[in-house]
Amino acid sequence: MKISTFGFLTRRGVRNLGKHWAMTIACIASLSVCMTLNIFASLIEVNVDSMVSYLGSQNEMVVYVDPEADDATIQSVGNALSGTAGVSRVQYMSKEDVLNQYKGYMSDYAALLNEFENDNPFKANYRVSLSDLNQMETISKQFENISGVYSVTAPIEMTKTFVEIQQAVTKVGRGVVLVLMAVSIITVGTTIRLSVFARRREIEIMKYVGATNALVTLPFVIEGLTMGLLSGILTAAATIGGYAYIVQLSPTLGGLWQMLMGTALVPLENVWPTILTYSLASGALVGGLGSMFSIRKHLNV
Amino acid sequence: MIDFEHVTKIYKRSDTPALEDIDFHVDDGEFVFLVGHSGAGKSTLLKLILREELPTEGRVMVDGKDVARLRRGKVPFLRRQMGIIFQDFRLIPTMTVYENVAFAMHVTNIGKKDIKERVNYMLELVHLEDKAKVYPEFLSGGEQQRVAVARALAHSPRLVIADEPTGNIDPEMSLEMMELLERVSEMGITVLVVTHEHELVRRFNRRTITLKQGRIISDVPASFGEEVHA
Repeated sequence: MKISTFGFLTRRGVRNLGKHWAMTIACIASLSVCMTLNIFASLIEVNVDSMVSYLGSQNEMVVYVDPEADDATIQSVGNALSGTAGVSRVQYMSKEDVLNQYKGYMSDYAALLNEFENDNPFKANYRVSLSDLNQMETISKQFENISGVYSVTAPIEMTKTFVEIQQAVTKVGRGVVLVLMAVSIITVGTTIRLSVFARRREIEIMKYVGATNALVTLPFVIEGLTMGLLSGILTAAATIGGYAYIVQLSPTLGGLWQMLMGTALVPLENVWPTILTYSLASGALVGGLGSMFSIRKHLNV
Repeated sequence: MIDFEHVTKIYKRSDTPALEDIDFHVDDGEFVFLVGHSGAGKSTLLKLILREELPTEGRVMVDGKDVARLRRGKVPFLRRQMGIIFQDFRLIPTMTVYENVAFAMHVTNIGKKDIKERVNYMLELVHLEDKAKVYPEFLSGGEQQRVAVARALAHSPRLVIADEPTGNIDPEMSLEMMELLERVSEMGITVLVVTHEHELVRRFNRRTITLKQGRIISDVPASFGEEVHA
């Protein structure tokens, strides 16, 4: 294909957007709405997942150190815990730290707790957080075998519940995204097919004057691609703008929202590059491929 | 240029043939009328030449090539040797007159400079040079048909097929159209005109093939001595 022919057909594709403005608007609108719904569904899934992970991470394991252990043993237990794969955070609590913590909790019983100053019954321990809650049961067993460890307390059942909730949320979220994606493809496909059908005569004429399938298809693909990219820009603007607004609004929302999402809300800078890439790529892909497939059955002239 | 060798065409879900044992030859540069009533098989015959349909039996040769044996990818190259004029003009409504004429040349990979020269020449030939930037909807039927003629001739085809070219234009324009096609034929281009206007056929006295119920019932050669339209 000559460069001038390619240029002519490309210009034609872009110009057709304006010539068939009603169809162009219909295609861009349906594609943008579908992609926006998809992205918001994904954002909800990501944030619920983050919230469940955050709540789950609050479930610490407590590794009690043998009361007879000397400082070197305590140190070596700490090193062994930190060196275990899957451990995200280790915090040491001496006997005194534990006592002080309880004093804080039970200030009304200060006199009683003061009795413990001379004979502290609490055990020094390590608070351990895991990066993957799924591994809590396995890791807790590993900890029990470390020399110098007295006992391990792990909220295994509660953790399992969190993991199950997280998995269910992920499954439902992905299901919703897939259904929305299917609906998007059908909606956008139908809109593009209608647009191509309205111009089947044009395609027929192109075929009669000796245009190859590639030459007939090119302007339509360029048109679809441009519509897809425009839809992608609109979608990215709507979703990034919308999410930025939610992030900005979040600190002012109190109550349950603050408790659940206050810390867990995924920051905008973590999601906008993905949103932008997804919007532009899927817009271009659906627009370009949608046009290419819609035109195929009209090429048999 | 065109050879039909005992061609029969039966469409799927039809018992009666649309064309039956059609056998004729059209020389290079010849001007031929193809006449017949509705349902006589004229459109099917054109579709076979354009390779839009394939014969059930027999062989259709265009410019020495058996069209049935052409691979699908080669069909556009066969059509580039043809210029087609339709009764309903079939201009692309979103293109100007200039672009409609240039379009056929763009798809045949002709350079931009050559396209410009050729399109301007064609528009002068059909007296539409001042309408180059106008869209088809603002042209009369006769003007639209002239654009269709310019488009059909723009890429220098070897065969021009006119399917009821005078069907949507007034009698005066019809005469003008036929004279234009005669001039095309004089340039050495084969012209096949499908029509049911017997008056025009009589006036122009060219070879006339008549179809009836899918069969050729007469093939009358031209008799220039009796030409009456000049």
